[in-house]
Amino acid sequence: MIRIAAVGDVHVDKDVLGRFRPALEELPAVADALLIAGDLTRHGTVEEAKCMATEFGDVGVPVVVVLGNHDHQSDQQDAVSDVLREAGITVLEGDTTVLELHGHRLGIAGVKGFGGGFAGACASKFGEREMKTFVGTTEAIADRLGAALRGLECDALVALTHYSPVPETLAGEPLEIYPFLGSYLLAQAIDSAPTALALHGHAHHGSERGRTPGGVPVRNVAHPVIKQAYNVYQLLSEDVDAGLASV
Amino acid sequence: MTPQLDEYREAEIQRLLTEHGAIAEQGITLQRREHLLVLGGEVESAERRDEICRQITANFPDVEIACDIGIVRAAAPSEVEEIS
Repeated sequence: MIRIAAVGDVHVDKDVLGRFRPALEELPAVADALLIAGDLTRHGTVEEAKCMATEFGDVGVPVVVVLGNHDHQSDQQDAVSDVLREAGITVLEGDTTVLELHGHRLGIAGVKGFGGGFAGACASKFGEREMKTFVGTTEAIADRLGAALRGLECDALVALTHYSPVPETLAGEPLEIYPFLGSYLLAQAIDSAPTALALHGHAHHGSERGRTPGGVPVRNVAHPVIKQAYNVYQLLSEDVDAGLASV
Repeated sequence: MTPQLDEYREAEIQRLLTEHGAIAEQGITLQRREHLLVLGGEVESAERRDEICRQITANFPDVEIACDIGIVRAAAPSEVEEIS
């Protein structure tokens, strides 16, 4: 059994310091790892990254994150990643990590992702250079995610993104902005490997649960969606234990 | 009264909420009522909610706002979901 805690869109800055700590102190008792689905900061500055590292570093379990669009706002994403890595946080962008947990290997592949929309209303690489670049960016990111997932050898495989791979977890957002919230190309990458769970954020007004066309469970863990410090998901389970009730 | 609260003004405010450095929020909803603008959504702190209202008032002094923005709860969970 492996238990994963997950949240996204925590947007940490000075004013948030300490808000998550009471719940994070309980984390080692209820989960084996914490995955954070991007938008770690407000503007993607080094100062905010230090606040993020203070709030979510040293929580007693491995912490694995991807960046979100907010973390790119100041064009300091590399420095933001460096600050987080120095605090012991694993930052994924097109690469992977494997955690050894209770004799099981949990494999995680992560990318920020990007937009483009979903089947029936998706953008195409056609016309203006800007449009081709937009769609091409998502294609390249999805290709990296698929290759990373397929390259992992593990007992349970998790895909971590900021943007959504499916429209179901966007329900509640205006239809007009779906193309800016995710892309079916991410789902196609997730379905190209035996993925057990896909986690994303970004859609604050979205819904929690969905599935890819290939049947992989998808969870939108954006903080305003889950309305608590983190959710806990159990994989490879024979039975539920710990102090948490099964739902 | 907010006689000039039309779609263009609503779009300007929506962009302010995202593009203003002191706000940077993409999850705030705007609903135009007869005489006021209702702000919805959730943010991570009371300071951020108050700054949103302050910036809208400063940049659009003729717009009357009602703030229904909440603060996202950050309690520990009491349940685990089994994925299958």
